[in-house]
Amino acid sequence: MVTFDYHEPTSLREAIELGARFGGDARFLAGGTDLMVQIHRGRLNPRHVVSLQCVPGLDAIEVDGAVSLGARVTHRRIETTTDFQGSLRALVEGAEVVGGHQVRNVATVGGNIVNASPAADVVVVLLALDATVTCVGSAGERTLALDGFATAPGVTALGPSELLTRASFPRLARRSATAFLKAGRRRAMEISIVCVAARLTLDADLERCRDVRIALGAVAPSAMRARDAERYLEGRPLTDPVMREAGRIAAAECRPIGDVRASARYRALLVATLVPRALARCLERIGFPAS
Amino acid sequence: MTRIPLSLSINGQTHEVLAEPHRTLLDVLRTDLGLIGTKENCLVAECGVCTVLLEGAAVNACILLAAQCQGRAIVTIEGLAAAGRLHPLQQAFIDHGAVQCGYCIPGMILAAKAYLDENPEPDENGVREALAGNLCRCTGYQRIIEAVLGVARRETV
Repeated sequence: MVTFDYHEPTSLREAIELGARFGGDARFLAGGTDLMVQIHRGRLNPRHVVSLQCVPGLDAIEVDGAVSLGARVTHRRIETTTDFQGSLRALVEGAEVVGGHQVRNVATVGGNIVNASPAADVVVVLLALDATVTCVGSAGERTLALDGFATAPGVTALGPSELLTRASFPRLARRSATAFLKAGRRRAMEISIVCVAARLTLDADLERCRDVRIALGAVAPSAMRARDAERYLEGRPLTDPVMREAGRIAAAECRPIGDVRASARYRALLVATLVPRALARCLERIGFPAS
Repeated sequence: MTRIPLSLSINGQTHEVLAEPHRTLLDVLRTDLGLIGTKENCLVAECGVCTVLLEGAAVNACILLAAQCQGRAIVTIEGLAAAGRLHPLQQAFIDHGAVQCGYCIPGMILAAKAYLDENPEPDENGVREALAGNLCRCTGYQRIIEAVLGVARRETV
């Protein structure tokens, strides 16, 4: 391993200055569950590592009005945040299936987003919540939609010296619920074969779908929305056949590859199965047993 | 390579070391400080044998830079029996026959300690989940789980 210089800025401004000064030679370090592994494997060789652990504010969770997760919020924090145990339960479900406790104690939301793995579990949940991400660089701050932020595996719209500071999403409307489901070969320490997050809002009569988001992980180069399935569901009653059809539509619009974890065909079958299951779980959580 | 001075608080003692910035806590513990109870294996945060407690939380020392640990309290397996008496978890692992080759055990015990400190009355699923990041290739886990549950039933940790 080639050595690097270690920096520990104590303000956001200082962190951004270091990022701007070193550009592509620098990497920001949060939990290190990806960066340190990549360095160990020789895939990354930064000359400068800029730790974010002493930058204040990046570990904040705000839930007044919109919900905001600081970049350094860990998966364990999400799991144990009381505000997320209700209609935002999918956030907990996405966070608690990542690695073991040792990984979740340090692995962060910001790292999960900028790492841009197609299988990033929490990113899939945030997509279903219409999240935006805030990036700060020497040119100032900008807010981008999370959908489209990852452009390829490991690649995002983040500028070379920009720092992602938080992910935010609007508070859920009434009569809403979320759910997250993950398929893997074992229950722990597993990278998703497929994961699905759904956010469902019913109309005032609690009969039809007013608004829905379906996000899929590990079935495309980046986590993706199943927009065809979402459009199909809007205005329809959430019957079993309708939810199954949404699953078939989502399976048709995803673009999985076959790899060491599963074949493309199996991944598409899992999407067709998990989408209706996630929708049914949302219905239950709004207060309706699945028909 | 430029070495930087680090002041590390390990098992309640302050250690001053000079280390290159890229060196992990695991490496410094074993190579510089001779604390070889913390084991080394996968080096990519998959197996849990390098588990230590950082401010009370279980973390993998193989992906943690020593430089990140300044001013933060670290506990290794050597810190559990510091007074010459085994920690209840250590005794329970012996009593339950939970140790075979032993390589994963320091990490198992520290992950279990972090969990029991937060959850003094755990159920079996909780213990299994808490130890999911620690791989054991000998025991089949059952006696390890029983040892942890035994400690939780008998006394506070």
